[in-house]
Amino acid sequence: MTTIALSNVPDLTMAVSVPRLAGIEHPFGQIMGRPGDRDGQRAVLTAVLEALEEMKVPGSIRHLPFEWTGPEKEAQPPEPPPLVGYLKWHPWELPRLFSRDLPGGQAGKR
Amino acid sequence: MAKIVDSYRFLDGITKRLIRSWINLETPREIPWTPLANPLSDCTVALISTGGIALKTDRPFDQEGERRNPWWGDPSYRIIPKTAKSEDIHVYHMHIDPRLGEQDLNCLLPIERLEELAELRKVGRAAQSHYSFMGYLLDPREFLEKSIPAIIGHLRADAVDVVVLVPA
Repeated sequence: MTTIALSNVPDLTMAVSVPRLAGIEHPFGQIMGRPGDRDGQRAVLTAVLEALEEMKVPGSIRHLPFEWTGPEKEAQPPEPPPLVGYLKWHPWELPRLFSRDLPGGQAGKR
Repeated sequence: MAKIVDSYRFLDGITKRLIRSWINLETPREIPWTPLANPLSDCTVALISTGGIALKTDRPFDQEGERRNPWWGDPSYRIIPKTAKSEDIHVYHMHIDPRLGEQDLNCLLPIERLEELAELRKVGRAAQSHYSFMGYLLDPREFLEKSIPAIIGHLRADAVDVVVLVPA
């Protein structure tokens, strides 16, 4: 199957060697566009599929031209994720997250 | 001037440092590559979202498990039929605002937009089913060993040619 990954953190996605990558500067939670913005969402999907069709070299990336107008802190989760709350009370564990050295010997590092 | 996406625009200070740290942990590897064999207008296209989306009639993703162990993420996946509407689903990902995807599923899994492109003959057809899993997976082993082969099986059974991976 032929695949393409859309990403708003293309630097990270590219680092894991995906075959095709379309970068988009949209916030988490509304990566395809705002609720109800049918034209905008369709334009994003169309651009991603066009990029897939045109990419001939493994590891290709296309930075999509869509501009996001809105605050960077738009649309936060209603409550902080569990890990954020945990690290607030256990800040000495933060280096484990950075190194992906998970508690209990779970796989993290490559 | 051509746009270059800012990978760090929507991240706070610590998360920016975290992402840079994770990038430095990665090593170059062989890139898996399947060329596009036919024009998109002849292809069956499926979507996969990391939004932790499930039908309300399906088993929820395990949020309590993540609350009990914040280092853990649910490694399972769900099938989202092509006919699903926003009112049929729930978004379980706890690191995004789920209300946006629940208000409009297409923010995270553009099912209806894909159907429109099929009607316009931009793609051959939308797959019968699409898929979702939790994007928060610090330990991906069980997901890679169990969920990925199962999803691939479904995609092959549905004769899918093209898969678009949509992050949350």
